[in-house]
Amino acid sequence: MRHEFDSRIPHMLVIKKQNIENFLEKLKKKFEVFDARDNKLPFKQYFLPAEERIFPVPKPPKKFVVFGLDTFDLEALTQLDEIMSKPKEDFYYWQRRKQALVIGIEKDMQKLVKEYGEFFSAEGGSASGGEEVSEWQKSMRQLLLDSELLADAVEWSRDHKIWEELAEKCLGCGICTYVCPLCYCFSIEDSVGLDDKCSRCRKWDACTLPGFAKIAGGHDFRPTLKERYYNWFYHKFVRAYQEYGKSQCVGCERCKNQCPAKIDILDILKIILEDYGKYLSSQNS
Amino acid sequence: MENIYLAKTVKIIKIEEQSPTVKLFRLAQGFSFNPGQFFLLGKIGFGEAPFGVLSSPYENDYIEFAVRATGTVTNFLHTLKEGDEIEIRGPFGNGFPLDFIENKDIVMVSGGSGIPPIASLTEYIIKNREKFKNVYLLYGSKTEEEILLKYRFEKWKEGGIKVMTIAGGFVTDLIKDIDVDEQNAVCLMCGPGPMTEAIEKVIRPLGISDRRIFVSLERRMQCGTGKCQHCTTGDKYVCLDGPVFYYDEIDKNHD
Repeated sequence: MRHEFDSRIPHMLVIKKQNIENFLEKLKKKFEVFDARDNKLPFKQYFLPAEERIFPVPKPPKKFVVFGLDTFDLEALTQLDEIMSKPKEDFYYWQRRKQALVIGIEKDMQKLVKEYGEFFSAEGGSASGGEEVSEWQKSMRQLLLDSELLADAVEWSRDHKIWEELAEKCLGCGICTYVCPLCYCFSIEDSVGLDDKCSRCRKWDACTLPGFAKIAGGHDFRPTLKERYYNWFYHKFVRAYQEYGKSQCVGCERCKNQCPAKIDILDILKIILEDYGKYLSSQNS
Repeated sequence: MENIYLAKTVKIIKIEEQSPTVKLFRLAQGFSFNPGQFFLLGKIGFGEAPFGVLSSPYENDYIEFAVRATGTVTNFLHTLKEGDEIEIRGPFGNGFPLDFIENKDIVMVSGGSGIPPIASLTEYIIKNREKFKNVYLLYGSKTEEEILLKYRFEKWKEGGIKVMTIAGGFVTDLIKDIDVDEQNAVCLMCGPGPMTEAIEKVIRPLGISDRRIFVSLERRMQCGTGKCQHCTTGDKYVCLDGPVFYYDEIDKNHD
């Protein structure tokens, strides 16, 4: 911890696995520490809480530590920082984010040395280990390498029968969006308390929930679950690609693991990609 | 760091009843904006909602909005009196393409309570009348009662705008009263769903291509900065990329 505390500059610290708890104990003496390891809800909750008061404007939190982001989450954090900076900085996100020291965990020493070798000197680290990445995550990452193809395929798939089938299966509960480290849509809700004090809150919202695209007067631009579910994919793979040049998915597997209807986005993408491939070859022949 | 969610508190200096459900609010501060841009109006405790500006962009001392009572925020706004304060932030979005439409015939189309941004554009055109050729305003509504701002029509007509009101729907018959050069005419519109009827029955038959039709869309803008995702249409954000779009940019969107 020889560096200045600045959340935006990445620093490297190499410690042995058995020393992690010890290291955390030391940190806890100085800061509030949130342990993001094995958390069903992703790290975004520390910067974009499920519900936060935005008026009256809260004071920034004391400096705090978010510990244990894996490589999926670190990639998501990088993307979320970018999203929350453009075109203007999101005041409430950055009010928290700038106070946070984020500590990620990279278990693969060889990869670390290869990617960041020039930025740190490893003391007594072993080159063994390697990351525990599931087969699902590997396959998903493979697909994510070509986010342009995903954008084209998902855009093409608008009239694919799969959205009808998914609308039957999906419960429209929004869990996939809450557990996604890169779902950030929100709604702003006001309330008046019994003491006559007014407040405004920002809450997580989910584009799969009914009424998400409803306007005053009652018109709903996505009245069916089929349209809303497609929009979830459309945002992640099409609009995100157009906006930031990459899919807003890092392949962390949370949405698949937590979905009560057992919907698997990797399966969906595979089907779409296969049919899109067939479509393309039929166009060429 | 600027707090983009922070609104300004402004006093209401005038409230006019426009129809049984629509009130005009004049606020005691001028803002710099383009016709077609929108602001978020509201009050902490009740919420915010997006409104297109109704008044002229040349008005330095005040800004006007029309509010139809349909939801929590608008019903609350309707309870306010002159002298009360509300909160405002903006402007947001792009507004109408003021440079592109110069030296062209203009057909503005509006319906019901979609008139505010068109009214603001009308004021802009009157102020710069020599820069435009024939200018029409087609204002449709279901009933005569829903036509707003009637008392301003005389002034607009004197300013060189041909104002036509249409009750009960747009019909192909309107074309014979509109004289535009189809190669050099643009259409600017704002209003509810039946606007597509106007496009099909009037605007396209006039020879105006979809590339020269500009529509102002309505969505539930909440953050105004392309984050909250409530206002998306296809790959566009109505709050950032719009609310004014080329018709052929958005007509094939799934939402």
